Amino acid sequence: MKRTNKKFAPVLLTAAFAIGLVACGGDDGGSSSSSEAPSTEAPTSEAPSTEAPSDGPVVVDCAPEEGPLKAAWVYVGPTNDGGWTQAHDEARLAVQEHFGDAVETTYKENVPEGPEVAQTIEDLIADGNTVIFGTSFGFQDAFVEAAAAHPDVCFEFATGYMTSDNMAQFYGAAEDTDYLAGMAAGAASKTGKLGYLASFPIPEVVRGANAWTMGVRAMNPEATVKVVWLNTWFDPAKEKQAAEALIAEGVDVLGQKGVDSPATGDAASAATGVLWTGYNTDQSENYPTVWLTATTYHWDVYEIPRIQQVLDGTWTTGNYYGNLADGFVKLAPYGDNVSAETRAAIDARLEELKAAPGSEFTGPIKDNKGNEVLADGVAHTFDELMSMAYLVEGIDGEIPAS
Amino acid sequence: MRSPIRLERRLEQPKWLNWAVPLISLVAALVLGAIVLWLTGKNPIDVYHRIFERGFAGKQAFSGALEMATPLAFTGLCAAVAFRMGLINIGGEGQFYMGAIGAAWVGIAVSGTPTGITIALMCLAGMVFGSIYAAIVGILRAKFNTNEIITSLMMNYLAGILLNYLIFNSKSYWRNPDSPQFPKSKNIAARADWNTYKIFGIEMPIAFLIAMLAGVAIWFLYKRTRFGFEVSVIADSPKAARYAGIRTSSTIVIVLALSGALAGLGGAADVGNFRGLLDAKGLQMAGYGYTGIVVAALARRNPITTIFVAIFIGGLTKAGYSLQGPDFPSGLVGTLQGLILFTAVAGEILIKYRLRTNVSRAGAVVA
Repeated sequence: MKRTNKKFAPVLLTAAFAIGLVACGGDDGGSSSSSEAPSTEAPTSEAPSTEAPSDGPVVVDCAPEEGPLKAAWVYVGPTNDGGWTQAHDEARLAVQEHFGDAVETTYKENVPEGPEVAQTIEDLIADGNTVIFGTSFGFQDAFVEAAAAHPDVCFEFATGYMTSDNMAQFYGAAEDTDYLAGMAAGAASKTGKLGYLASFPIPEVVRGANAWTMGVRAMNPEATVKVVWLNTWFDPAKEKQAAEALIAEGVDVLGQKGVDSPATGDAASAATGVLWTGYNTDQSENYPTVWLTATTYHWDVYEIPRIQQVLDGTWTTGNYYGNLADGFVKLAPYGDNVSAETRAAIDARLEELKAAPGSEFTGPIKDNKGNEVLADGVAHTFDELMSMAYLVEGIDGEIPAS
Repeated sequence: MRSPIRLERRLEQPKWLNWAVPLISLVAALVLGAIVLWLTGKNPIDVYHRIFERGFAGKQAFSGALEMATPLAFTGLCAAVAFRMGLINIGGEGQFYMGAIGAAWVGIAVSGTPTGITIALMCLAGMVFGSIYAAIVGILRAKFNTNEIITSLMMNYLAGILLNYLIFNSKSYWRNPDSPQFPKSKNIAARADWNTYKIFGIEMPIAFLIAMLAGVAIWFLYKRTRFGFEVSVIADSPKAARYAGIRTSSTIVIVLALSGALAGLGGAADVGNFRGLLDAKGLQMAGYGYTGIVVAALARRNPITTIFVAIFIGGLTKAGYSLQGPDFPSGLVGTLQGLILFTAVAGEILIKYRLRTNVSRAGAVVA
């Protein structure tokens, strides 16, 4: 009998915990509790706030009283990831070079999306940084909270959608260059079977996959694109595995969006007759045998004028969307595998997209279930582009649980 | 030719070694780290000062260290509880996810219950989810003698896939239907938010208090109950335990379930005290379960020490982010952190063994 009791000691302890907790939590009405707001509560609605606030933007003075302006970048990956974070850090270096001694830049890399973000921001502010750039979607809630707590610090956020008086958003029309890269891919494919590695089924990535596929089919009308979702931003091993799986299925050209490493290029290089359009950075020299071209970001095109505004005392919040015309997005140099004819076709289309960003999404466009999305001649509005949730005809795959 | 130095098992382990060795290990790590820093052109004193200032000293730094420490305390206890019986539970990571899934379910669903009861229900759900998930590993081990290292590790990946499925690939109960920009979970109800107390200006999450309570309870369980005694007998000699009539199979399952319950409680704390939702992507980036194994190893499987080591690692992690930058690569931060962990684990051997020179031994034989 006694023994039986002891046997259940762990179970009893577990139960005791639960009871203890009730007692513990019961007195939360007392003055001792400082109920912190949950880090996830969005202060604004979920809709993208693309229109300017009605009472006009407020000028935020975040320049230091004396000494150089301190600006910091918070990265989700390592600065040598060969992709997303590397492109951001190249922009930081460009900012540093442009302003010289007037600005002192720093960065924090490999910051996971979690409580670490808020702590890192606090730490940067304690070090005297007054302009803070966030470069991963998952940092957004922490940035919104920090912006509310530090009205005298300017927050600049890439790829998000929430703005406030001292938090601005910036990103750009990568879908245009994705489309052009798709043209190179479509022209290069012999089998007509292409593969696309995508990170998360979110509008930004869906838009890229659709634009790339439309580019492919502009050059190769019968081609199909198999899309796989990796559910990660940066996982070279997983990216490579997925690329290898696509190659095993007979795909001869690979593209990617949202996954930050050039691991897909490694998989393509290891196979024979497989070509690759990259993402984020120019890798033409590192992967010469498989390289076609890529979308590249030039974040400094936005960041340098913004820092200048801080120094001038004219910084206000905003929602910037760069494009081919202002040089925020560019098409990387072509690889040897892109023929002269294809280059000419892409260059011609590039001029059109430069004049009319996003115009590749002009009807007739059908989704891959056969429904008409856009009638002939009709174009998507900006908001429709920003909330895209269908896959175009020619894509073998689906948006999970859409 | 024989090595001039060899290790000899200590017949008895003097008590003072238990504190002297870790202390010397830490000093050794600081000295080695200083050499590395000096070689890379940094001033070691400045760097150590900054680690101390940003990781531990001051109210804000220590509050941050506690926040970082809380999940590690739970996963550390999870690993320590199983190590005590010689079971290597690598599955704290997956059990942590499962606990978060269970607690988020309660946190989203509750309406009308007072906060205290809600917290208790979330803890209970976290523990139940975590313990069932770990008990599967235990049953496989007890009934089929499957290697728990491999099964528990594999189940981490399964739990990760389940997280992705719930948030990214399905319209599950957890998924927020009103977030077209990015798939994420519903927020837990406002009254399901756990408290953070301010004690002498230090922000103490209630989850950390629960972790301390759990540490003491585990210590009591293992030191003062028959169950704890049986566990240590099994750990020393499973054969002897069976002769003594101890039912090893069911003990394996119970210990793993308890281990999983602790990790699951950590998952509940992550949802309730910190993130306020089921963060499928963030959780998989954090890797609390794996760090917990390091915490338990450093704490030499002692549940009370585990809590302190968690604070130490938490502060070190926090200081690490504050150290790195353009002139201080994050690889160097990792090297410093690695040195401390390495010397601590290496020091462990000096508690069990002592160094003997072969020369003096030969002399003794001659005499």
